[in-house]
Amino acid sequence: MSASTLTPIPAAATKAAELPLLQRIVRTLLTQRVALLGVLIVVVLAVMMSLDTAGMLSGSYDTDYLASTLISAVPVAILGFAQLIVILSGKAGIDLSVGAVVSISGVVFGFSYGVWGLGLVPAILLTALTGVVCGAINGYLIAYIGFPPLIATLATFYALKSLAMVVSGQRPINSQTIQDFYSAARPVELPLIGQYLPDFPMAVFTFLLPAVVLMWLLLNRTAYGRRAYAIGTNDDAAKWAGIDTRRTRLIAYITAGGLASMAAVVIVAQFASARPDAGTAGNGLALPAITIAVLGGVAITGGIGRVAGVLLATLLVVWLNAGLLLAIPGNPGTQMQLLAMGVMLIGAALLNNYASKRYGIVK
Amino acid sequence: MSEGNVPRVSMRGISKRYGGVRAIRHADFTLEPGTVHALVGENGAGKSTLIKILAGAEQTDTGTIEFDGRPVTINSTADAIRLGVQTVYQEPQLFPELSITENVFLGRELTKGGRIDWAAQAGEIQELLQMIGLPPEVATVQVADLSIAQQQQVSIAKAVAGDASVLIIDEPSAILTDTEIEVLFTVVRRLTERGVAVIYISHRLDELFQIADVVTVMRDGTTLDTYPIADLTVPHLVELMVGGIDTAERHVRDLPSGEPTLQLDNVSVAGRLHDINLTVRPGEIVGLYGLLGSGAGEIAEVIYGMRHATGGSISLQGTPLKGGSPAAARDRGIAMVPANRAKQGVFSFQSIAFNITISDLTKLGRVRGWVSPKRETALSRTLVSRLGVKTPSEKQPVMAMSGGNAQKVVFARQLMDTPTLLLLAEPTQGVDVGAKEEIHRLIEELAADGTAVLVTTTDLGEVQRIADRIIVIRDGRVHAEFGPGATQVELLAAASGATTQEDPR
Amino acid sequence: MTTTTIPVKADLTSKVKGRILPPLVTGQEYVLIGIIVALWALLGVFTPAFLTAGSVVPLLVAVAPVALVGVGMTFVIITAGIDVSVGAATMVAAVVVAKAMVALGLPLIPAVLLAMAIGGVLGLINGVLIAYGRIHPIIITFGTANLFMYLGLQIFGSSTVNNIPSTFAIFGRGEEGRTLGIPHSFLITLIVLGAAWWFLRHRPSGRHLLAIGGNENAARLAGVKVKQLLVSAYTLTGLLIGLGACFTLGMGTSTLDQGVGVGRELAVIAAVVIGGTSVLGGRGSVLGTLLGAILVQTVTSGVTQLGWPSQLSDLFVGLAIILAVGTDIIRERARKKTS
Repeated sequence: MSASTLTPIPAAATKAAELPLLQRIVRTLLTQRVALLGVLIVVVLAVMMSLDTAGMLSGSYDTDYLASTLISAVPVAILGFAQLIVILSGKAGIDLSVGAVVSISGVVFGFSYGVWGLGLVPAILLTALTGVVCGAINGYLIAYIGFPPLIATLATFYALKSLAMVVSGQRPINSQTIQDFYSAARPVELPLIGQYLPDFPMAVFTFLLPAVVLMWLLLNRTAYGRRAYAIGTNDDAAKWAGIDTRRTRLIAYITAGGLASMAAVVIVAQFASARPDAGTAGNGLALPAITIAVLGGVAITGGIGRVAGVLLATLLVVWLNAGLLLAIPGNPGTQMQLLAMGVMLIGAALLNNYASKRYGIVK
Repeated sequence: MSEGNVPRVSMRGISKRYGGVRAIRHADFTLEPGTVHALVGENGAGKSTLIKILAGAEQTDTGTIEFDGRPVTINSTADAIRLGVQTVYQEPQLFPELSITENVFLGRELTKGGRIDWAAQAGEIQELLQMIGLPPEVATVQVADLSIAQQQQVSIAKAVAGDASVLIIDEPSAILTDTEIEVLFTVVRRLTERGVAVIYISHRLDELFQIADVVTVMRDGTTLDTYPIADLTVPHLVELMVGGIDTAERHVRDLPSGEPTLQLDNVSVAGRLHDINLTVRPGEIVGLYGLLGSGAGEIAEVIYGMRHATGGSISLQGTPLKGGSPAAARDRGIAMVPANRAKQGVFSFQSIAFNITISDLTKLGRVRGWVSPKRETALSRTLVSRLGVKTPSEKQPVMAMSGGNAQKVVFARQLMDTPTLLLLAEPTQGVDVGAKEEIHRLIEELAADGTAVLVTTTDLGEVQRIADRIIVIRDGRVHAEFGPGATQVELLAAASGATTQEDPR
Repeated sequence: MTTTTIPVKADLTSKVKGRILPPLVTGQEYVLIGIIVALWALLGVFTPAFLTAGSVVPLLVAVAPVALVGVGMTFVIITAGIDVSVGAATMVAAVVVAKAMVALGLPLIPAVLLAMAIGGVLGLINGVLIAYGRIHPIIITFGTANLFMYLGLQIFGSSTVNNIPSTFAIFGRGEEGRTLGIPHSFLITLIVLGAAWWFLRHRPSGRHLLAIGGNENAARLAGVKVKQLLVSAYTLTGLLIGLGACFTLGMGTSTLDQGVGVGRELAVIAAVVIGGTSVLGGRGSVLGTLLGAILVQTVTSGVTQLGWPSQLSDLFVGLAIILAVGTDIIRERARKKTS
């Protein structure tokens, strides 16, 4: 019996079909993060809308409002995807530097599009290149030299944050071109079917949707995606299966850098200004991004995580926040978001623990 | 050390069942103080389970345990430690950044006024170091700076400092060199002089004759009997272990001919392998048999590119194999089922389909780099049914499966293409009998299709059952070669060191 | 009894250091001391004002809260943990004490005790969740960071705290903040650091912290009280966060804004890892953390005094982390190869 046997999982996991309906629902909610998030979104929408009907909100919580708040979902979701892919790649993967990458990429975009007068497409490409280079530095330090991800990305956080400030002379770039770029964030009416739907912010179509589709394709329809899940699940077994684990991990960090730079472009549009501290002011953007990813069901131990989970977690947080802002106007509303984030994060982690003890796998 | 005639430990009527598997049917075990008691048996005979029960890592289903004549119940490792049962594991449970002295005293530090009494510890460690055969001046060396053998010595010191009355040493020599084993024996003898009862588990039978006083043989979950070792010889002991008759039946196969698929010339790995020469022909199944730590496993790792050779050359189908990485090996048509399924084989919470297709993702899409779920499903279903993996769907995660089924999945991963050379390390370890049979049949089918197969195994029955040629590896060298007709006694004797040229006792 | 001496490998004897105790100063610390001395010398040459009391005192005062909390963080990281809620907890402790002083005119000692009690409770919450909830520390502390921030901002109530009495000037840069020219905050930090150093070196529990980070399972088998020690490490960090918040108030003006504590967790983690403590656990020293904090602050004030853009200092902090941890990784790798 000296042979290594796999951890047996509770019998409950294999006999799902035989359970009564209620238990099956509970099990699905606990083990399928996407299902839980979906239910929570419905609950939030229902509660907020009934508060609205009862006249307890300071503004109307309708579809137009929900659609317009999506502008803040765009960068959050994209940065959540960045965390998704690095945490997924395992070995304590995490990226503390995303906020700093946003800052430096935003500055590069601000200069190239707003000051040097490059066209929009070349400017975006240059910005993407910036993010990719930043990600490559992280990835090289982590995958090839052996830095713990936490430390490597802490170091690049400091370095890039500083570079963004120094290069820009600590001044935001808000030339006319950049100010006009706000149009990318403004709600627009869709052609043809637009009159039946609320107006969505432009960036939802130009950035968020492509990011969702590309990330989904990358993780679910490419060989690279398989390799990323493989190294995150079992790095050793991945080596035995002939996977170049270092290269795969490097690419994960490069992808995260690229995504962060695209979030930077959206943020420039959103604020009509390229601020050198866009991603690092206050507590920075890494904290919400990691929170969203974990809330979306990404396992900090690697190998588990879905695009849909991160997307739904973003919608939940954004629409909850939007409601809270109307329910509790002013600063207390903003603060309530922190409470909600904290409670959800710890609650989700405790729930995960319980569910994996009870059912085996949690996705 | 006389405590009358009361044995230190007496286990009666022990049995243990894991689900449907009976690990121990019936075991009686009596351990006398001041003796070295060897416990032998083939893989799966129930040795480890019996030891785990004594060490508190598992609980017995039936029977009684007496300690110095008093009946006891051992429900946890803490209970066992309280009784003085200490275990030295193959992989030492130590703290790399702390010194030898600190490791030995951790958890029971000598203190003076709330402060660790370094001087007192430094004094007390000297005696322990002397006993385990380390020089006094190394007391402050960090454990991270020690070799595995030295770490094992420290583990013994730690056990002894914890007032061991029973010391279990599990397969200690598997990772030790001959001189290191000498050191270990000296330490063990010193312990028994103090009255400690030592249970010594090893597959290397020759060394048991140097160290053990008595030996208990286990077979199929049952303890046969306990014998004074002086009454036995290696061949006799082997017969007791395997039951005297060779049960494994073989299909007679036409021996293949032709240019070798794989050829190793003087392959060496510094300190592990010495001048290995061997060939495998297309369609041939060659068994590399050796005890744990013999180096047989390393040979396969070198061929697969997981380990770098420091000398010699390898060629595949007549062209040199550059090696360097498993990816390079796979490109040349070499596939491998690794030895440690949980650590090196499966992606536990991913699906069966994921696990099968992961090593050859190019097959999954019309465009390189893309994955088509349709192809994934089709390919994995084909392999699932070809290998007889029992599962309702290829989407099930592997972690829900039995050992045999999981092993078939890892096996299926190697068959995305028909491999030119298939390396198998312990292909049926921890696998139930039915699945074992199926895996063996599969190996034969592959060989019949022309694949060259190299199986490294510590399982006698297996190598006998499937190999056309058996090469016995011992101490990193090719020790002997047998045809398919070799008996278990011959093989085990060769692998465990009772060579025919020398006096086999 | 046989008396055969067993031959020892030559490489092992070369590692003998001829002492009973763990090493006083490790390789990483020598490197840091060298770098700090070199930087001070260089800065002394290029900006003569650098080595004057007017420059060194603010430097030490700025080092104090980071190094102080760094002591707790070192304990936490040694156990292979992390605490990213430091900044938020600092905010809570600072705003409560500031408000209490404004409203109640709290004197020094009760104010310090109140701050430490608040920090301690927050740390205890982290510790209990981590040790008993069995969830990765980074997730727990990210979560509590959000909660603490909410708490802090609620107490701020969307405005700054004004007219804070100068009770904590005793921890400040001014005349009241010094005895014999040495800033009190730095002195207290040194005392805490010395105690922590002694604890980590001489108390069984201190060694047990290292054991937990080295091999948690083996530590449990050896009878180490893993859960209690984990809770203690996070609680200690909390207590020191409270004291550090008082130092921060002492350095500031009579107004406290909501930016207090922001980014402190990263500054503290940076000091700890530059100091040679491994985030993988099992290895580290509080002396290294002090040196790390001094190095970071030296770079920061050096950049300012050289007249470079102050934001440039973070670039050097980033590089310092990469260099310090990078050399450590390479040294460890070399050590593993030879053994």
